[in-house]
Amino acid sequence: MTTFQNDQDQIFTGSGTPLDGEEVVLSFDDVDVRFKTEFGSVHAVKGVDLRVRPGEVVALVGESGSGKSVTSMTAMRLLPRNARIGGVVNVAGKDVGRLSERTMRRLRGNDVAMVFQEPMTALNPVLTIGTQMVESMELHGVARGQAAVDRAVELLGMVGIPEPERQMAKYPHELSGGQRQRVVIAMAISCDPKVIIADEPTTALDVTVQADILDLLRSLKDKLNTGILLITHNMGVVADMADRVAVMFKGEIVERGTVEEVLLRPQHDYTKMLLGSVPRMGAGRGQMGISVREEVDETAPLAIELKNLVIEYQRLGKAPFRAVDDVSFTVRKGEIVGLVGESGSGKSTIGRCALGLIPAAGGEFRLLGEDITRMNRKQLKGLRKRIGVVFQDPAASLNPRLPIGDCIAEPMVVHGIGDRKSRQDKVYELLDAVQLPREVYNRYPHEVSGGQRQRICVARALTLDPELLVADEPTSALDVSVQARVLKIFSELQEQFGFACLFISHDLAVIDLLAHKVVVLQNGKVVEAGPREQIMENPQEEYTQRLIAAAPVPDPIEQGRRRRERHELLRAQGEEVVELHLDDPSAFRESISGEADTL
Amino acid sequence: MNDRPITPGDDRPDQDLPQEPGSGREGLSPIPAQQDKDAPQTETFSVEKQLDLSQKSYSQGQLVRRRFIRHRGAMVSLAVLIFITIFAFTSIGYGWIPGWWDKDYWRGGLNIDRGRPTLQLWPFSAGEHPFGQDNAGKDYFALTMRGTQRSLIVAFTVGLFSTILGTIIGAVAGYYRGWIESILMRITDLFIVIPALVLAAVFGKMANGGIWPLAFLLSVIGWTGLARLVRGEVLSLREREFVTAAEAIGTGSGRIIFKHILPNTIGTIIVSATLAIAATILTESALSFLGWGVRAPDTSLGLLISTYQNSFQSRPWLFWWPGMIILAIALAVNFLGDGLRDAFDPRQNRTAD
Amino acid sequence: MLQFVLRRIAISLVVLLMGSALMFFATINAGDPLADLRESRAENREQLMQARIENMNLDLPWYQRYLTWLAGASKCLVLACDLGQASNGANINSMLVNAAGASLRLVSISVVLAIVIGIALGVLTAIRQYSGFDYTVTFAAFLFFSLPVFWAAVLLKDFGAIRFNNWIADPALSTTAMAVIALVFALLVASVLGGDIRRQAVTFLVTAAVVFGVVFAFDSVGWWRKPALGLPLIILGGLLALGFFLTMTVGLSQRKITIAGLVTVAVGIVAYFVTAPIMVDPANWWVILALIAVTVVVSGAIGWFLGGFERKTAAYVTIGTGLGFAFLVFMDRLLRNWGAFLEIKPRPISTIGSGIPEFEGTFWAEIFDWGVQLILPTIVLTVISIAGYSRYTRASMLETINQDYIRTARSKGLSDRVVYTKHALRNALIPITTIVAFDFAALLGGAVITESIFGWKGLGAMFRDGLNKVDPGPVMGYYLVAGGAAVLMNMLADIAYAFLDPRIRR
Repeated sequence: MTTFQNDQDQIFTGSGTPLDGEEVVLSFDDVDVRFKTEFGSVHAVKGVDLRVRPGEVVALVGESGSGKSVTSMTAMRLLPRNARIGGVVNVAGKDVGRLSERTMRRLRGNDVAMVFQEPMTALNPVLTIGTQMVESMELHGVARGQAAVDRAVELLGMVGIPEPERQMAKYPHELSGGQRQRVVIAMAISCDPKVIIADEPTTALDVTVQADILDLLRSLKDKLNTGILLITHNMGVVADMADRVAVMFKGEIVERGTVEEVLLRPQHDYTKMLLGSVPRMGAGRGQMGISVREEVDETAPLAIELKNLVIEYQRLGKAPFRAVDDVSFTVRKGEIVGLVGESGSGKSTIGRCALGLIPAAGGEFRLLGEDITRMNRKQLKGLRKRIGVVFQDPAASLNPRLPIGDCIAEPMVVHGIGDRKSRQDKVYELLDAVQLPREVYNRYPHEVSGGQRQRICVARALTLDPELLVADEPTSALDVSVQARVLKIFSELQEQFGFACLFISHDLAVIDLLAHKVVVLQNGKVVEAGPREQIMENPQEEYTQRLIAAAPVPDPIEQGRRRRERHELLRAQGEEVVELHLDDPSAFRESISGEADTL
Repeated sequence: MNDRPITPGDDRPDQDLPQEPGSGREGLSPIPAQQDKDAPQTETFSVEKQLDLSQKSYSQGQLVRRRFIRHRGAMVSLAVLIFITIFAFTSIGYGWIPGWWDKDYWRGGLNIDRGRPTLQLWPFSAGEHPFGQDNAGKDYFALTMRGTQRSLIVAFTVGLFSTILGTIIGAVAGYYRGWIESILMRITDLFIVIPALVLAAVFGKMANGGIWPLAFLLSVIGWTGLARLVRGEVLSLREREFVTAAEAIGTGSGRIIFKHILPNTIGTIIVSATLAIAATILTESALSFLGWGVRAPDTSLGLLISTYQNSFQSRPWLFWWPGMIILAIALAVNFLGDGLRDAFDPRQNRTAD
Repeated sequence: MLQFVLRRIAISLVVLLMGSALMFFATINAGDPLADLRESRAENREQLMQARIENMNLDLPWYQRYLTWLAGASKCLVLACDLGQASNGANINSMLVNAAGASLRLVSISVVLAIVIGIALGVLTAIRQYSGFDYTVTFAAFLFFSLPVFWAAVLLKDFGAIRFNNWIADPALSTTAMAVIALVFALLVASVLGGDIRRQAVTFLVTAAVVFGVVFAFDSVGWWRKPALGLPLIILGGLLALGFFLTMTVGLSQRKITIAGLVTVAVGIVAYFVTAPIMVDPANWWVILALIAVTVVVSGAIGWFLGGFERKTAAYVTIGTGLGFAFLVFMDRLLRNWGAFLEIKPRPISTIGSGIPEFEGTFWAEIFDWGVQLILPTIVLTVISIAGYSRYTRASMLETINQDYIRTARSKGLSDRVVYTKHALRNALIPITTIVAFDFAALLGGAVITESIFGWKGLGAMFRDGLNKVDPGPVMGYYLVAGGAAVLMNMLADIAYAFLDPRIRR
């Protein structure tokens, strides 16, 4: 059935698993899920066993397609109708599979609640926060009418949303991503569930917001004694939150144990590989066999030179929005400069300006020695020949109608270089360089997977031997093991071709791994810039310190230390450490009174 | 700016469903990873799909064709449409090319049995006048075929021209934005203000009965819908990263539009062309019915219904035949469009439940 | 928001202006306005031609004719239109007022019906995706998309009017007909309600039996010529309305709200007897409107004071129940007058004409007189648009159901009913609003065909005559009303959009 059957004895069964007599709020026993489709059946989950105690965080870790979300959804019984579920799922002592639809609905929200990945889309855009908060409380008879509204306000206050009364009348789009996720969490705890399933709760958030939300979840389970099943692909988040860990791979749990056991002394090869693929904050160079040429010729000509660059977006009927404000830095040939920042920092905007896609509103932008702010189309075309680009989304960055060979050869066609034969030879050469078989030449982008597509993008960027490469979040959409491979290929090619690179990323660990110089952006302004060692090891600015402190590392002991340091740092900077504002959990419980008037 | 990371590890249940080969999802089925000889050790546990080079490669077009051919409703519709077209053109011939039917649509004759249809289904026999005869004894089969010819010519011409016009204008407006776009949007607003049928009526009257001027003028009205659709698609496609990448390497606008953007809107274009054909069949026959389309002595299906609407009680076949043929053509084209939409957009496909 | 609306109005006016130039130019080039006179052998041919040239300003160049028209039409902005005269010298202003009244009445009813029925069908087919009901509605939608309107209208005239009129003279249903009606109803109800096979089978059998019984009873008491509901049926209907609103809002388990609803029904029964003298022959529609207002206030008050914690929801429920009850009382009265109307008009459904001149009768008979003229064109126009609305709503609803927030709503434990009505429907309606504006224009265009078949003296007929005589006056009159109405509808659609979608509200 699987490849691991014969490795069974190697699988570490893990300590800390609740014994039979112990209280568990959520348990999966030999859960098995198949999806029946037109083209046969797909075995998504193959006999998973897992238990969650009250007040305990169990992390279910895995990459795309491991079946971790499917497993968790069986507890809610919210899988699509073509799913065939085997085994037993127990929530708060009730066998989910045997409940009627009616009792199942009473269970959802009341005994088990969910926190989803995308706070942007998890809330209904046309209903107010208040309506959505009150709804489930009235449904489950926790509170009604004005009492429910009061309780909703109290809950919003608890999760740290300022002025909760005012937010009640707002619509989801009027709140930021982090605030929305807090609303979702407030909604989840409103009926005091025994267990919360958090499905990638921080993946879509910025790293500082992620740290806050994790703090909130941690204090929540401490104060309310709620069990949490945390589903994530991020080893840092696991190290930060989990008590116990189960690693899933292709529908099976391959390793389990306490967080220290799994993350520090992994037994299974997959876990080892996974941990080995995660770049670690502060570990610097040389991880995962990736090496970068350290010495940069300080006298090399400048590939990018920004002087007081300003970029504005025109808005109808309003003052233009200044996305980039007075930014200056340089990139030398052969040098990798990391551009770091959170959403809205303007890092991608600078990248697009470097490609001549967005005009600058002020300042100077010299590319390979020429000022692009004053160039016409034709001159730009000549310059573009010397620049390569890799984007974030591998699904969108290749034309789905062109075979891969044509995609890679496109720059040569556009600039009229070579004939058919020589172009084909060059494409083969590039495919070799990114370690893809030559046979993909005639395949289409939809036939290969994300990481392979991203390698094709790298090949396309290098077609014309560029002097400068702009890489805009090239690995953010990839699974860690895939990311490791792409990064390795990338670093080797950089060493080989010696191009200058503007590497845009939100992931500090990746920047730490690759960049020579780091530029930290916030709200369109440069916060701090300098050599990698200086920024990463000894940041001077408060924002940079917070950013670095918030990035989790996949080592529970180290992460615990980093968390305490972060809290100290926040207090020192006069910021608040996020926690659930609840002093008396028993009073909170009692407020769930029997005032429901049902027939 | 949306520079939020796209999330890895996203394995929501709907994404775990495999699809046909080549859809990009088949790798999610739990085929154990094979080990590459040269690949590093990590490959064993890679979540990346292994390239199966033994499998046949399918382009997007081939996949669409496969899905289309499997769509039973669309295939039946296509057969019906081809059948009607061939029948209409071969039976009475076109221009100087003679057909196999021996009667002419303009020649009257003696009414046999009050002009009742002689068509018999079982045992099959066409008889002298399968569709019957009209008041003047003209063979109604020949008349109907002539009408069908006229309607089909107008419909396909309009479908073709309005599609070309709409695609080009929509693509230019969507890609360059600016004044071209505002003009396009104002013109589409215009068509909210003036009912299409009314403008078609005025133009139809201007065309004065000729089918080619009629087809031309109807195309002038018909392109706006498609232009709007294409513009919308282009607007979203030009934000896609492969277009940005093409711009970044210095690809010219013409090449971007025709090589990178339009091939990706082909679904919308083809589907909307079929719907335009269906709409034109109805518009043309309505205009002819009202007296502003094809005029006597030539004939069209709408004109036939209009001429004989009062003989519904006495000679119902004069009313039923042309009406049923219009319905059959329009229905077939609409189902064809639906099949094409399903083939191009498998998201809405009927999955086994 | 205000700025947005003003901007839209300004753009619309510019578009209207452009459109008027195009229409004017196209119309005067659509033929020779003097064609019929040139072939005429009348004695006073020259005189007639001269008069027509005079009436239509044919001696002026085209742009002067347009500007003259424009100058007159632009006075509409200050409510003093001067649309000139038709080729025969008739005043277009007065022509237009009559025609517009007739057509807009027809089209508005069709639009409202099409929206309500179309959206309901779309939602139901989306919820029951891939059921027999879904396939049937989908196929019907395709059929109606592909149906030539004029052909369908002629068919309807024959089957809906001529044969119905023959039948109603001596109505009787054969047992086969009753069985067919019962089976169709049963199939429909069973597939809409859904559930597993057993539940569907039970629903089917029960519905078939009930419908057959009802039809049989109607047939044997001569209901078709002397229909009425009677108090028991009204009360039953009122209770059903209460049940419907309860399930749509809070479910059946809320004691206080249920009591409030029952009180509403009781008050309704009292009101039935109290208002009986007025309802025998109400003076005019104002009386009816006043009664509706009283119903809303009284039933709302009942809900508000008896509703307990959720008085607002309770008030919605009682108002809904009250209005449902009132509607049934109204329908009862209306049906009771059908027999009397048949005496006046033995062949009720008219196939032609937009009204018997000087019809005199009771309030109820006048409603029937009005209704029977409207019914056939309304059916034709409605059916065409329903197809579009149901398809769009279905697609939009299916798209919405796949959204993340629907999953969130389910994970809270909400029932399917609440998920669909509260969370999905409103989001699904957002894209529908823009279609309404397009559809309205298309319907006014469709009215040209329908009016010509049913001999309705409305805008369509006016347009048709004008165009045939190459006379821009009536054509432009039609254009002004159609364009103005479309602009208005567009604006309403924008406002509805903003109402439904908080993201674009400012």
